[in-house]
Amino acid sequence: MTLKVFVASCLAAACLSASLARADQDRPYVPASNDVVLQTVPSIADPRVRAFEALRAEQAGDPGNMALSVRLSTEYLDYGRDTGDARYLGRAAAVIAPWLMRRPPPVPVLLVHATILQSKHEFTAARAVLMNVLRRQPDNEQAWLTLATVAQVQGDYGTARKSCGYLLGGGDLLVPLVCLSSLNAVTGGATRSDRILQALWPQVRAQPVAVQSWMQGIMADTAKYLGNDAEADRHFRTALQLTPGDNFLLADYADFLLDQHRPRAALDLVKDYPSSDTSFLRQVYAESALNSPRKEADLTQMARRFAAIDQRGSRTYRREEAGFALYMQHDPRRALQLAQENWTVQRAPEDMRVLLAAAIAAQHPEAAQPVLDQLASSRFQYEVVVKLAARVREALANEQVARIAGAPTLAPSMTRQAERAVSVPSKSPAQ
Amino acid sequence: MSSRRALFALTLSLLLYLLPGIAVAHKESDAYVSLRTDVRHPDELWGEWDVALRDLDFALGIDSNHDGRITWGEVRAHRGAIERYVLPALIIRGDGLVCPITPTGQLIDVHSDGAYDVIPFVARCDKEIPDRLMLTYQLFRDVDPYHRGIITVYAHGEIAGAVLGPADPTTTLDINRPDRWRQFKSFVFDGVLHIWTGPDHLLFILSLLLPSVLICRRRPFTLLDPGVWQPVEHFWPAAVELVKVISGFTVSHSVTLSLAVLGYVNLPSRLVESGIALSIIVAAFNNIYPLFKRRAWLVAFAFGFIHGLGFASGLAGLSLPPVAMAVSLGGFNVGVEIGQETAVLPLIALAFLIRGSRFYRIGVMRIGSWLIIAVAALWLVQRACDILIPGTGFLMPS
Repeated sequence: MTLKVFVASCLAAACLSASLARADQDRPYVPASNDVVLQTVPSIADPRVRAFEALRAEQAGDPGNMALSVRLSTEYLDYGRDTGDARYLGRAAAVIAPWLMRRPPPVPVLLVHATILQSKHEFTAARAVLMNVLRRQPDNEQAWLTLATVAQVQGDYGTARKSCGYLLGGGDLLVPLVCLSSLNAVTGGATRSDRILQALWPQVRAQPVAVQSWMQGIMADTAKYLGNDAEADRHFRTALQLTPGDNFLLADYADFLLDQHRPRAALDLVKDYPSSDTSFLRQVYAESALNSPRKEADLTQMARRFAAIDQRGSRTYRREEAGFALYMQHDPRRALQLAQENWTVQRAPEDMRVLLAAAIAAQHPEAAQPVLDQLASSRFQYEVVVKLAARVREALANEQVARIAGAPTLAPSMTRQAERAVSVPSKSPAQ
Repeated sequence: MSSRRALFALTLSLLLYLLPGIAVAHKESDAYVSLRTDVRHPDELWGEWDVALRDLDFALGIDSNHDGRITWGEVRAHRGAIERYVLPALIIRGDGLVCPITPTGQLIDVHSDGAYDVIPFVARCDKEIPDRLMLTYQLFRDVDPYHRGIITVYAHGEIAGAVLGPADPTTTLDINRPDRWRQFKSFVFDGVLHIWTGPDHLLFILSLLLPSVLICRRRPFTLLDPGVWQPVEHFWPAAVELVKVISGFTVSHSVTLSLAVLGYVNLPSRLVESGIALSIIVAAFNNIYPLFKRRAWLVAFAFGFIHGLGFASGLAGLSLPPVAMAVSLGGFNVGVEIGQETAVLPLIALAFLIRGSRFYRIGVMRIGSWLIIAVAALWLVQRACDILIPGTGFLMPS
């Protein structure tokens, strides 16, 4: 007993001194010498950076050129997408801001604006802008395509299907078919989507690598939903060969590897991108699964990053934050709250998954009812989501039985449910 | 649609279509501004403004050699440019008057998303910091509409904050409205503490009050004559005497305490402290050889002035806006009174009960007073000559 107290005190003292040392480190300081590198920034060694720097200079000299502004804004967006640096969303927005003041704003400007809003997960605002465009130009393919994407993320599959359908009138089949395949992959038609995408692939090979990579990403997701793990893995790797370091792919593939109980591979994949919050989050998951000695420090660091994001009032990362609260901080109540907030914004498969798991862990299965409703109408068959949904249904049924039987508590069965639910997504430490 | 145009449209469409998948990896651009009030310089706010190096690089081009690596040397070389760009973007107004911002250095800090240039600064307002601060924040307005300035104001132990950005650049923060009642209470506490930890004031007032339960019948024959003081018959005259002494002391020390704290009177502390020691000797001597008989209140009133100056040391350096000053002074005075009453009243009640005993008349009045004189004399010598007599440290009032 005394030994325990002693050890506990030593640990407490160590934690205290560690946190003090940390606080010390956090204070502003004067670097030791002029040569200390403080920050890496986009280098002109990168041809993309050279391209948009040249465009930026050109645009500054010709601010009245709308096409130039749209091009620069799009360049920033693309760069932001590739690197995952959200600052480029703001930079892209600044370039088109003067044009948005025009009455009415030019359509190309509105299309870029909608894409920026969409990237900031302001889907409702993005839809309003797109509807504005479509009122003025009812056959604007770009607007329909973006609307299809936004509607799909929002879980509004009817609008998404209608928007993809509009594209069929344009004569070209590739775009509408990819649009529909991507939608069908989450609405019960993944097998057909997989076949169609495979068939379309030769055509896409003629497209720029970014498009090829994106197509491979969709194929990877579709295979993943179907449970064709080897095929999914192959598509992910092909996509990353085409666009190495693509931030979205890294996160998506890392999640896949974690689900496959391959935390070592996941860690190797993302460990070179610690400045990316999404990659770093997967690094923390992997370190936790591997019980790495860096686990605790990186967990703290990740919590600090989320705190900084919360401080600015940003809601872009609710899904990631909910997962972090659930799997790493073991705070199901907070996770559920975040997952529910996130559900009001986006309803993609990963959003379903985190809300289901959080509802089970927090012993509030009824909170996941909206996911069950969506699954009932969409017939989405991704095994991870389907299994979690089954548990929620089981928990709800138990609750009902308990209520009918007059039993005041349903705690024992619910607790087991919660434990299983949290341990299934392999983001939790390997058990 | 020509095939060429169709292909371009397709490519562009697909490229934009990629974006739904965007997983933003870094948070968007934030800067952090902290402002602190300074008790000693009420017209100044001390600030720190942390701006991300990558934002500064985008706006100003800090990475001079374009190698993608910003060094401390490059940041230092751009200090002037950074300050000229950043500082005008924050306007601090107090009561409508602008408080100009002056940078005081350049540092680096690491936040969760990278290294930040830290600009420590001071904002000087025309008068004292007013109750309300109006902040207008417009950094990076032209290059990033999603930039946010996260403002934290630390004022008198309170924290206020705001998140400002190009769409919502202005906020008004109540900073100088601390809880007056809490402030008052805290000074009451200080006053009580000042009395209880400073035995010289207590010894003085006690010396004056010891004879209040007795009455002087005649002049003493010698300094050791025990027959001078006779117990009072009734409690009432003793209580009146008590009230008179305490009131006299309160009135005069309040006056000098206020004058001293407000800066109108400033006597050397050596003189004040010596005067206090002398006042104790006089009061205690009166108990052995009655000089004032029933006019002890006059002594209390007269020496109260010098004790008030002594109390002021408990509020040394206090500099507050007028209302806060009144609250603090009032609270401190009340605290001093409470400190006195709580120390003295129980003792006087006890004194009334044992006023007829030899112990009180000889032991307390006579021997006790001699002891008090001895201690006070020691203080007087030490304070007047500014020396410490070895082995007497424990007798020193704090």
